[in-house]
Amino acid sequence: MHERLSYYVKRDSVLHHLNPLTKIILALSIVLIPIFSPWYWTSHILLLLVIVPLCFAGRVTREYFTSAIRLIIPAAGFIFLMQAFFQPGGENVIFKFWLLDITQESLSFAFRISTRITVMISAFTLFLLTTHPNELMTDLTRRGLPAQFAYVIISTLQILPQMQAKAQTIIAAQQSRGLDTESTFLKRAGSVLPLVGPLVFGSLVEVEERAIAIEARGFTSKKVKTSLHEIPDRSVDKLIRGGLVILIIISIVLNIWL
Amino acid sequence: MALINLRNVTYKYPLTKTPALQNINLQVNEGEFVAVIGPNGAGKSTLCYTLAGFVPHFFKGEISGSVEVAGMESSKSTLDEWILNVGLAFQNPFNQISGAKYTVFEEIAFGLENTGVPREEMKSRVEEAMKLTDISNLADRSPYSLSGGQQQRVALTSILVMQPKLLVLDEPTSQMDPIGTREVFGVIHKMAKSGMTVVMVEHKMEWIAQFADRVIALKDGQILLEGKPSEVLTSDLLAENGFGVSRYTSTAREAKKQGLWKKETLPVTLDEAVDGFTL
Repeated sequence: MHERLSYYVKRDSVLHHLNPLTKIILALSIVLIPIFSPWYWTSHILLLLVIVPLCFAGRVTREYFTSAIRLIIPAAGFIFLMQAFFQPGGENVIFKFWLLDITQESLSFAFRISTRITVMISAFTLFLLTTHPNELMTDLTRRGLPAQFAYVIISTLQILPQMQAKAQTIIAAQQSRGLDTESTFLKRAGSVLPLVGPLVFGSLVEVEERAIAIEARGFTSKKVKTSLHEIPDRSVDKLIRGGLVILIIISIVLNIWL
Repeated sequence: MALINLRNVTYKYPLTKTPALQNINLQVNEGEFVAVIGPNGAGKSTLCYTLAGFVPHFFKGEISGSVEVAGMESSKSTLDEWILNVGLAFQNPFNQISGAKYTVFEEIAFGLENTGVPREEMKSRVEEAMKLTDISNLADRSPYSLSGGQQQRVALTSILVMQPKLLVLDEPTSQMDPIGTREVFGVIHKMAKSGMTVVMVEHKMEWIAQFADRVIALKDGQILLEGKPSEVLTSDLLAENGFGVSRYTSTAREAKKQGLWKKETLPVTLDEAVDGFTL
């Protein structure tokens, strides 16, 4: 029953030892720079010279390629096709099929957009693979994010699989009493409705108990919280963050200038 | 010295007409182990919440009389101070897992992080507490992958690690199987022996008879009976008022009517029953 609750892969690497905020800013700058950069090849270069090396630096190459095959390539491929066929304008028709046509312009636009999407998803995949959610939230809480907000995010990640398991139990229980879950869609929708009640109301009752339980352990205590794990934040981190912010600004300025 | 001192406590939850607790007077000394029994709706949980400061600080509602626990007075202290002195654990182990932590070790440290304990002290306190409850081998497991008995011991440990003066337990074994019950009682007994004051709501009479110094029987928000386990648990008043009674007690009571039970007092545990019947 125990499911994997986050994408995090425990490794000992340069990326793992960076501060979570540094990694967020790194991911954000990888997303923003291609958007602002006026140069056509920016995201292609980023993919080859930043994303791929980061995979090796983070020692998560295998996990990255798994998610690339499952998620990134299908998403980018879909966007490539959509843009190639439906991007209006362009004169040099390469390929014509019924009402759809691919022009040289739409093709180059599609290539740019789909690579940009690939880079964006890759950046956040790498971030999730190398950052433990708890570490991220502890660090952000320390920097002033409300603890309640962090708790909602983290506990949702953990509690969702539990609720899923509970839903399965309720469905199995109802099926054993003759619930129809295999006929037409409408019938099934009608018969699933009574299952929602126990699941939702049961969860609401649990919320009060859980509130008391975490309150009993000082959740809203006014004392300054400490943390079990030390979160790395070296001077390298500050340097990287500063550098990245400057790069983002440069790309924005170039975008306006040119 | 009295650790708990309740005088004429009456409490009403918001939006309800009848009080959940009525004129409760209760003194508990340091180091005492008090068991609370009572039928559904008798006010057992409300009493627990009152001792733990959640009534009135969390539930609001109207309270009268005075509540003093570990030198704090409920009208003058905040829940913040209260939780440092009183630990509360309850029925469902699953709902006591914070959900914010990925390993048992982190889960137990949650309360210490929130109350600002320095890192080094935190680590040694967590390790010590896990040794005490015999769960050191679970440190790196996810709290959600454990059995009910193990989860309940994790929940207890995460309260004990905060080193409360008073431990309040609301039916901690009601959802456990016999093995889980034994594990959890083992921990509670160890705490009681080490001198911690314990107030526990429990239905398993045989366990109460073994461990409790005193039993309080609640009914409709009032104290019906109070005294030694051997007296309270075998009282005729309990059976008449719809309390659960140990099967050994009820068997011996029937036997007494037939003249088969020779002893003056009725038994609560199997051993006592065997003793009496083999006279």
